Amino acid sequence: MTQSSRSRLTRRSVLKGGLGLALATTALTAIGLPVPASAAGKKVIIGAFADGGLTPFKQKIIPLAKDAGFDIEFLEDEYGVTLEKWFADAKNSAGQYDLYLLDDPWVPQFGAANVLENLGAAGIDGGDKDWIGSMIDMGYWPPQKGPRVKGFETAAPTLICVPFVGDLQTLTYRNDVYTSGAPKTWDEVIAKGKEGVAAGKIKYPVVFRGVSGNPIVTSWYPVFLSFGGSFFDDKWNPVFNSAEGKASAEFFVGTMKQNAPSGVVEFDSDQEGAAILGGEAGAIIQYSGNALKADDPTQTKVAGKLDFGIVPKQTAAIAQMGIFIAGIPKSAPNKANSVEFLKWYVSADIQAKLSEAGSIPVKRSAFGIAKPGNRLIPVALQQLDAGALPRPRTPDWAKVEELLGIELNKALQAGSGGGAALDNAAKQVKDYLSSVGYY
Amino acid sequence: MRSRKYRLQGAGLDLALPYLMLAPGLLIVLGVLVYPLWDGLRASTKAYRYGSVVADVGMQNYIKLWSDPQFLNALWVTIEFVALSVTFEAILGFALALFCLREFRGIRLLRTILIIPMVITPVVVAIVFRLIYASDAGMLTAISEWTGGGQVQILGSPVKAFFGLVVLDVWEWTPLMFLILLAGLQSLPHEPFEAARVDGAGNWRVFADLTFPMMRPVLAIAIVLRTIDAFGTFDQVFVLTRGGPGEATRLVSIYGYDTAFKFQQTGYAAALFVTIGLVVLALAFSAVRLLRRVDAS
Amino acid sequence: MNSHLTRIGVMSAVLAIVLLPIYWLVSTSLKSNREITQEGTLYPHVPTLDNYVKLFTQKQFGAYLTNSLVVTFFSVAIALVAGAMGAYAIARFRLPFAMERKIGLFLLTLRIVPPVVILIPVYLLMLKLGLLDSWVGLIATYTAFNITFCVWMMESFFREIPVDLEEAAMVDGDSRFGAFRRITLPLAAPGLAATAIFAVLVTFNEFLFALALTATPRAMTMPRGTATLIGRIDTDWASMSAAGVIGALPIVFFALLVQRHLVRGLTMGAVK
Repeated sequence: MTQSSRSRLTRRSVLKGGLGLALATTALTAIGLPVPASAAGKKVIIGAFADGGLTPFKQKIIPLAKDAGFDIEFLEDEYGVTLEKWFADAKNSAGQYDLYLLDDPWVPQFGAANVLENLGAAGIDGGDKDWIGSMIDMGYWPPQKGPRVKGFETAAPTLICVPFVGDLQTLTYRNDVYTSGAPKTWDEVIAKGKEGVAAGKIKYPVVFRGVSGNPIVTSWYPVFLSFGGSFFDDKWNPVFNSAEGKASAEFFVGTMKQNAPSGVVEFDSDQEGAAILGGEAGAIIQYSGNALKADDPTQTKVAGKLDFGIVPKQTAAIAQMGIFIAGIPKSAPNKANSVEFLKWYVSADIQAKLSEAGSIPVKRSAFGIAKPGNRLIPVALQQLDAGALPRPRTPDWAKVEELLGIELNKALQAGSGGGAALDNAAKQVKDYLSSVGYY
Repeated sequence: MRSRKYRLQGAGLDLALPYLMLAPGLLIVLGVLVYPLWDGLRASTKAYRYGSVVADVGMQNYIKLWSDPQFLNALWVTIEFVALSVTFEAILGFALALFCLREFRGIRLLRTILIIPMVITPVVVAIVFRLIYASDAGMLTAISEWTGGGQVQILGSPVKAFFGLVVLDVWEWTPLMFLILLAGLQSLPHEPFEAARVDGAGNWRVFADLTFPMMRPVLAIAIVLRTIDAFGTFDQVFVLTRGGPGEATRLVSIYGYDTAFKFQQTGYAAALFVTIGLVVLALAFSAVRLLRRVDAS
Repeated sequence: MNSHLTRIGVMSAVLAIVLLPIYWLVSTSLKSNREITQEGTLYPHVPTLDNYVKLFTQKQFGAYLTNSLVVTFFSVAIALVAGAMGAYAIARFRLPFAMERKIGLFLLTLRIVPPVVILIPVYLLMLKLGLLDSWVGLIATYTAFNITFCVWMMESFFREIPVDLEEAAMVDGDSRFGAFRRITLPLAAPGLAATAIFAVLVTFNEFLFALALTATPRAMTMPRGTATLIGRIDTDWASMSAAGVIGALPIVFFALLVQRHLVRGLTMGAVK
């Protein structure tokens, strides 16, 4: 290699480089060194994944907690890494967190590994009638109802998590298209939606998420439930490929796709949100994230035209429920403070404040307050009473959802073959579960 | 040479010197890399459930890999990704290096600018490309809408997302290829080229008869280096697509990570990683052997 | 064929391809989320520094930078010292059973194995030692990785330096180690610098192990901290792009300052 003399290294240029890096970093550091919080109060380190659903909690409830004497350290991370980080933290007693705000399908994994504090024993009353029953049920391991995985058949259900922020799917629809209120059936969704398209009010009757994995399964799930399907039998055999299930899958990849934007196979929540908030779609089943933007003209082009209702039915009107749920690791460094914080947080008073701030609460009394922060909140209660089911309580849900999502997405791309996709997925799920010892 | 080295070794404390000099580095490496590697080997023969060992399964994890459609898919995606990216990088890098061989005004600026993609943190490179591809906030959509078109969908489509990832890798690493090949070109002797010119050989002949054959060793090493690196690609995919949509961009590194952490199959994931490590080593050593044989002939 | 025009054409194309994505990152970081998703502007119509301010007031980017600087500095410095000595021993000494060559080959092998392979056991090791989420845990890990290639790169530098100089020094009464320190090391300074620069780049940019080994701003490095903002639902594009700029700025600045030596370090291994 030829070496020109000007690229010879001198001590000065090395120093220059090192100094440059040091300067750049310290300069940036100096502007931004976090001011150490005046460490007063009872410390609680909360781990959370970044999600708009926690904004009201962050903005309104954390300040209240400070007034109540808690010193909250709120550590946010990306959704895609929190499960593994927290599980490793708890499993290995690393003691980095006092409280996790879990996604509810993660509860079984933490439960099966026996790494979370027994909150019932710590004095939180799971039997309180003010809880939304279906929500508090998700906090028990093993589950009080439904099938249990091997090894936990006879164990006594223990309260290891308590609901933190409620959420479930509801219907968002255009009130200028569905003029007589929320469409009651899937046929009505499609038929009136087509009229709306013909009248030039919208471009597509429906929109949903078609991306493989969790997104497509989440979008298909309420259709599946409303067609009367059930996912596992009580021996963990997949039965989602029943006649009802197949009908729902055929409807989903056929009729629904034909009445959705052409790119729906590739849609995730950002795109489906844009379609409904941008005024292109007539109706959508979704969690509250985008729904909460429905009245904000800076976020939607159709403010005032979006209303909420319970999900349409074929044989039932059941939605999927998915909530933030709080658990305390056995290795929590400030365990007593965390329990105290949770008791404070789930009190009817604070839940009412949460509802005022615009989050879906977890206590029934908080749904009925005079001024809920969002008009979705009463509709959410209607849906809870009409029917809302959590995902199956298995520690292996992530894998199951992935296997099913891949097959459903293939069928959606083809525009047909939903039933066959479920058969394939059922076989793969069965193989997988038997390889990890379910039967 | 040999005898001189012995002579240098001296006596007394100097006898222990080589060991004393090797010790600090080796101790750190043994503790932080080799012990974990051994630990990983052990874990790869165990079955885990809910984060704890439940059974000794011998080689079963390794056998299971080859009938796991998702592993095979991930392996195939990885091979496609590596092959496509490295090929493009080699071709573009070589072309650019040939183009820049003659000094001209602006070449220093070009070289400076070309350093940027490969030194930027890979996580940030992935953010840059998400900002390009995103259907709502993306540059492609903005340009398309500015020219009257609609939203551009990249990351939702399996095929487009995969090529999107290849484009990212090519953007990030072509500069390295370019710099290596340019250095190689500059170190070639001048005489054969001058002689060929005197004989009236055209550009193409010079390239085919002289430049390419003489550059083959450097080119081969550059390709091997990039291939090894590309096999371990993780950060960029983790941020750009996290393996999706579906399995379209799920490289073995991502599948292994998910298997270990998301699906909690620690032992199986360890077997997967050991296998990948062996594949990469085999690749590297056969490449080196091939190079030596080519050199010798 | 006007070769001048061709040259200008190719140059501008290359510059555009490299710089346009970076322009878009910076430009997005100066917009509000509303402008990003609703208006799809090509440049910030209402430029704002809010996104940056937020990173330092509402997120802990100051802490991430400090962590990165400390971890990078110590792991590179330790690896250089340990690596230079090891490389010198391998380059200059003959040990029984050709041990030094075997050690060199062994380190090279470790360098080739993709780091992701030992992610899980390294995590468990740091846990056992109580070093999770700490500077020390990260420094130990990065030092080990850095040593594998420091030895490999520096060995070739030492080989280039004639042995006679050391012999002369020893004849003059210097010890073996003294000759290494006073004669060989200064001569290998350019190589040391190239190695150090390369190590700084790799260490500062490392993400995977930072992801596994850190959990809080106590130890999160820049890339790891940046990744806390990469959510896929309700994506906060404004913060994410500002974080990208802040995350890349120190290392790009550093690389441009030392670019000549950087290029030398990057290309040398392959061309030799």
